[in-house]
Amino acid sequence: MRQFPWPKVRFGRKLVRRLSVGFALLALLMLALQPTPASALTPKHYTDLTFPPLPEVQIPKYSRFQLKNGMIVYLMEDHELPLVSGTALFRTGDRFEPGDKVGLAGITGAVLRTGGTQQRSADTLNQLLEQRAASVETSIGATSGSASFDALTEDLADVFGLFAEVIRQPTFAQDKLDLAKTQTRGGIARRNDSPNDITGREFEQLIYGETSPYARVVEYATLDNISRDDLVRFYQTYFHPNNMILGIVGDFNSAQMRSLIQAKFGDWQPTKPIQPALPTVTQANQGGVFLVDQPQLTQSYVQMGHLGGQLNNPDYPALTVMDGVLNGFGGRLFNQVRSRQGLAYSVYSDWGARYDYPGMFLAGGQTRSDATVPFIRSLLAEMERIRTQPISAQELAYAKDSVLNSFVFNFQDPEQTLSRLMRYEYYGYPSDFIFRYQRGVEATTIPEVQRVAKKYLKPENIVTLVVGNAKAIQPPLTSLGPNVKVTPVDITIPEPKAATRT
Amino acid sequence: MMQFHQVFRVLTSHCRPQAIAGLRRHKWSQAIAIGFASLLLSWSLLSGTAWATTPQTDPTKPQTPDPAPSIQPYLDRVMDRVTEFRLDNGLKFIVLERHQAPVVSFLTYADVGGANEPEGKTGVAHFLEHLAFKGTRRIGTKNYRAEKAVLDRLDALAKQIAAAETAGNSAQVAQLQQAFAKAEAEAVSYVQQNEYGRIVEQAGGVGLNATTSSDATRYFYSFPANKLELWMSLESERFLEPVFREFYKEKDVILEERRMRIDNSPIGQMIEAFLDAAYDKHPYRRPVIGYPEDLKNLTRQDIANFFDTYYVPGNLTIAVVGDVNPSEVKRLAQTYFGRYQARSAPPKLTVVEPPQTKTKEVTVRLQSQPWYLEGYHQPAMNHPDHVIYQMIGSILSDGRTSRLYRSLVEKQQIALSAQGFSGFPGDKYPSMMLFYALTAPNHTVDEVATSLRSEIERLKTEPVSAEELDRVKTQARAGLLRSLTSNSGMASLLLEYEVKTGSWRNLFKELDAIAAVTSADVQRVARETFRPENRTIGRLLPQTS
Repeated sequence: MRQFPWPKVRFGRKLVRRLSVGFALLALLMLALQPTPASALTPKHYTDLTFPPLPEVQIPKYSRFQLKNGMIVYLMEDHELPLVSGTALFRTGDRFEPGDKVGLAGITGAVLRTGGTQQRSADTLNQLLEQRAASVETSIGATSGSASFDALTEDLADVFGLFAEVIRQPTFAQDKLDLAKTQTRGGIARRNDSPNDITGREFEQLIYGETSPYARVVEYATLDNISRDDLVRFYQTYFHPNNMILGIVGDFNSAQMRSLIQAKFGDWQPTKPIQPALPTVTQANQGGVFLVDQPQLTQSYVQMGHLGGQLNNPDYPALTVMDGVLNGFGGRLFNQVRSRQGLAYSVYSDWGARYDYPGMFLAGGQTRSDATVPFIRSLLAEMERIRTQPISAQELAYAKDSVLNSFVFNFQDPEQTLSRLMRYEYYGYPSDFIFRYQRGVEATTIPEVQRVAKKYLKPENIVTLVVGNAKAIQPPLTSLGPNVKVTPVDITIPEPKAATRT
Repeated sequence: MMQFHQVFRVLTSHCRPQAIAGLRRHKWSQAIAIGFASLLLSWSLLSGTAWATTPQTDPTKPQTPDPAPSIQPYLDRVMDRVTEFRLDNGLKFIVLERHQAPVVSFLTYADVGGANEPEGKTGVAHFLEHLAFKGTRRIGTKNYRAEKAVLDRLDALAKQIAAAETAGNSAQVAQLQQAFAKAEAEAVSYVQQNEYGRIVEQAGGVGLNATTSSDATRYFYSFPANKLELWMSLESERFLEPVFREFYKEKDVILEERRMRIDNSPIGQMIEAFLDAAYDKHPYRRPVIGYPEDLKNLTRQDIANFFDTYYVPGNLTIAVVGDVNPSEVKRLAQTYFGRYQARSAPPKLTVVEPPQTKTKEVTVRLQSQPWYLEGYHQPAMNHPDHVIYQMIGSILSDGRTSRLYRSLVEKQQIALSAQGFSGFPGDKYPSMMLFYALTAPNHTVDEVATSLRSEIERLKTEPVSAEELDRVKTQARAGLLRSLTSNSGMASLLLEYEVKTGSWRNLFKELDAIAAVTSADVQRVARETFRPENRTIGRLLPQTS
């Protein structure tokens, strides 16, 4: 473990040896017989401390192989606890659903599990799993689909069997589709109950455009267009062994696991690979100030930003260092906008990069209605400052060290490493991407931060959205600049057709 | 369960973590989040706090596979790796060794929360928590001596302003405010903003945050394992010589936080009204963040008094979980935390909530879809029936096989979600079991109330099945097992049990209690608890325009 400094004793050689053995014994004894003498240690101010280096990051051992049908498998043993969990990623996403059936992918992902399998009803499946404190869950998000399981070691074979059944033989029972639709309708009805949610949703639509697959939302009308046949078709299009990456981590024997996988998935026939084109992305509004008037609010929810970038941009590490200068406890926004000006509890910015499409750069927070304009000005001022003035050496050190010194937390448990490897493979990233990122951060300099800030932050393209009480926002948003026009955003929920009562 | 996730993303946004760590979350908002999240992660760490036990099933009931034999050795091994010691000044440490990765989680637990606040000073516990991030005489300042003089001057001016306001002397108020602004600018010139957090983050600390609930104030983060002594230095200095600087600006921040959590959140307002109705005497009725009027009147002296009374070493407990050598932890703890002077114990809260005698109801109308709340008073966490309440919560609420899900959500489709959990808004003192439901489209809170009530009544009239009992016992046991993978989660659980029940061992011992619960126990507790005169109803209804 740790090294303790021992007094050096200069005597004859023999004596030294004997004494040092003696000292070592004494030291052990002293450690055992707490407490050590008071003189052994005095409290130090943090600036007086030095630290031994951390051991180098250890990548847990894993194996990767492919079944004949194209299915890619990662196995990572971890015997700390009698638990096994796994995740399968499927190449799909709601960005591929038709615009008149928004909600289809998400509902397919839900009913895949809730509808039961050809062998077992939904009730039986729920019972079998929950009686064992196990789970099998499925979902489809914007850019991928996933199925996962979690089991005690002793239930692994049973639960893995159910997992395979759900993936391969779902029934998409009509009653569970109806339930999913009820739930989704409830979500639509409640989507304006939280100002935070309004802000996030409407801002995405202002940036990507309201029909963009990255921003559109489910409506009663698109929900009504979705039938069980659509679910089956969507499932059949994307759920294939050659369209899937499976990763399992936990307390198992790899050879046995491999045979179990072969037994449950080996005879699943592959199909012709599909490669749907990704939606194109352009910024829908090249600037402007937008307002959702919510007269009941005492705060304004502010979000500002523009199109961001991708994770594989070589400038990404420097952009995250820029983020680090602005954010965190020692970041400029917290220091200035929150602690110095007392304008907000929550204030943030984020260079929102994505794996395979441009994310959003955004900055925002919440502030009392009458502080809205000062708050927006403060955020703009911080953006301008980081674009036009070099950051200090201390700020650079803060942002870089925060990433580099906490790097070990990316390797706290094997599951993190496994899911990262799968994600990298899914998006075609190199498997050592995280280490390239680490080196990129290490190499970032003050001029680099300024260069990327200047290149990627575009004040002229910033879209500003305020969800707040228009009357109470004084000074008004029009005072933000000489020609500022405030565009109202209508968030009225389009009514369901009269006949869709459940 | 993506299905729920997507639907309830909308609903849980008020308790979603902020991009920048907010400095606190109410216990109740966690509880609500748990309620929703538990459909997603039935036995996650968070629900572990509310339900942190590991029972053994009755071996005479072979109905379901019994994983106890395979799990128990792992739990025993964990208990063997826990050590504890108390410093001469009364400060207690609990250390759990876990060497899977070179990281350590730390949690300082002050046994004081909103419930301990004096009348008229609500919000002071939480305010203190915020100010505990502002540094010390050496951290967060460029020149403490000069800074201190200005801070004292600011306090004097604030007092004079308040007096002038009371006297209605607006000319004097304006004049004083000018002087105040000038002094505040001077004070700011000495401050190294957020230096404490900056040091932690720059050294590789993650998850730096704190929470204040009705029961407790908790400060936590994690470090790489080579920074153990840095944590010792920073955390001991933090409470050895804290400086409550930037008090006046932080008040603005907290008022923003109150607006965000309560005023602009329909369910936040609902819960504030519900607690106010449900408790007559006990301070659980008050919002942890404080009433706006109290917050406005709080002074720096109030914070200092509260700190002096409650942050005495005997009232603090610390957990260290991760890649550490326990004897080194002890050696360093003696060196660093041994600096605290032993002090007399803080006063105990003696207010007892009188028995409720009739149903209470509260309805609020806000811009929101409907919610239905129904609560019943229950005993505290150290009561033997505590585990039975947890099991009732679990039978009714956890997973797709739970009674409320099957009945209200799946079969009748009158609710989008319906759950109940015990220990609201805290569990150190007798509190409440709270049920809530969100109506499905075209259904009313009355329909939801009727169905919820019939499920609650069924617990009184019919014994729960052996299968259900076994299921919640197994799930609780597996839940604890799963929580062992998280250093910070274990730190939290160990302290919760240590402080509230007298020993961290009860986290594990509750297994036996849970294993012993019978359907007759459930029925007894249901009959004792779910009585009309013990009930509080809350309705959040849309504004009629």
